Order: sequence, then C-alpha cells, then structure tokens
Amino acid sequence: MKGSSMITDNKRKVLITTTAVILASLLYFFVDARVASVFPKCPLYTITGLLCPGCGSQRAVSALLHLDIPAAFRYNILLVASLPMLGYSAYAAVLNNFTGRRISQRLFHSVWFIRLLALVVLLFFIMRNIPAYPFTLLAPHQH
Amino acid sequence: MEQNYQQQPMLTPPKNWLVESILVTIFCCLPFGIVGIIYASQVSSKFAAGDHQGALNASRDAAKWTKIGFWVGLSVLILYIIAVFAFGLTAFWANEGKFNDYR
Repeated sequence: MKGSSMITDNKRKVLITTTAVILASLLYFFVDARVASVFPKCPLYTITGLLCPGCGSQRAVSALLHLDIPAAFRYNILLVASLPMLGYSAYAAVLNNFTGRRISQRLFHSVWFIRLLALVVLLFFIMRNIPAYPFTLLAPHQH
Repeated sequence: MEQNYQQQPMLTPPKNWLVESILVTIFCCLPFGIVGIIYASQVSSKFAAGDHQGALNASRDAAKWTKIGFWVGLSVLILYIIAVFAFGLTAFWANEGKFNDYR
C-alpha cells in the first residue's frame, strides 16, 4: 500500500464507494425497507428506545429510490436535507481524482458551517424524541 | 512523521472527516458520528488558530470515532442479516410440511 501513489488509493476509494452505493441502492430498491423486515432496527433504538439522528434512514432511502419524496421527508428529514452536501462531496471527489480540476471544498473546513451542522444534528436528535406535536413530525412516520 | 509536521507549518488543514461522520450519523444509527462531527469542528478551529498539532490530534480522533461508528454499524447490519437468514431457515425446517397448504 505504501508503494502505490496517493492518487491511485483515492481513485480506488472512489470506485469502491461508487460500487457500494450502487449495490446498496439496488438492495434498498428491490427489498423495500418500508415493508421488509430483513433489515436491522437501529441498535440504539432497540437498546434504549431513543430515536437517533439516523433512525428511519433505511426507510427513507427506499422511499427516495421509489421517488416517494414526501415519505422520505417523513422518515428522516436530515437524510434528505444532507443529500445536496453529500452530492457536492461526491462530485468533488470524482472531479479531484479523475480530472485535472480541483475543488477545495472550503465549506467543509468552515468552523461555523461545521458548528451549525453539529447543532442541527444535536437539536434534531433531541427534538425527534419529544413525544408531543409538532416534534412528533420529526420521528420516523408510518403511512 | 510527527516531527515533520511540527517543523513544517501545514499549508492545508488535515482531513477533518466531516462528510464521513455525517454519513455515519445518518446511516449507522449510532451516536458515534456526532462525536466525529464535534472533532471535525475542532480540526478546523484549531487549524485556523494556528494550533497545527492540535488540529492533527483532532483529525485522528475524528477518524477514530467515524471508523468505530462505521464498523459497528456495518457489523450490526451483517450480523442481523445472518441472524434473520439463519432463524428463517430454522423456522422453515422446523415447520417443514406445514406450509404445504400455502404453496
């Protein structure tokens, strides 16, 4: 590993990630997490009964893959909201490793952006566990 | 390696694992990703303040918690699928013949 160049390692990472995303998308498209029970429940939820910031994400992914956007919002609004950021990161990774262009992704090193993000995630974590309207809207919804 | 880092000022901040810890937060269903995000903010704030060694340490901690979250999440997923498959087969064998009516 030490002998190969950085660029080759990064290219390999991008290719592995792309393959994993495609395989996972196929899995969550054909085995719909909204109805199938083969997928694990959140370990934190199973142990503590707390809804973590990721609860509902498997159902949200299946909903997104079936183009049911409103349902994806109801299952996990954080996942849908973070898609532009993840998309930008993926775009930058491909561009930086496979073309001559470079994107510095300065936003991801902005202290205030990261602090805001941490605050949003923590607030989401707390609020979706409050068993009262309107906070219940943030908990993963059944149809 | 560490001496090199201390002697030469860094031009770019070390990897802060922000996107990775967001992914772990959303997909691994565990609070480790949040720890990763907190360390990501430290990487950037310490680098901005000129504390390059502190930024490197925070980068290492961010990597550690993000990786813990990733591998624990993945292990739970794989173990769960194995368990469901094993229990499913066991239940099917135990009740072999009883499903004939439903075929």
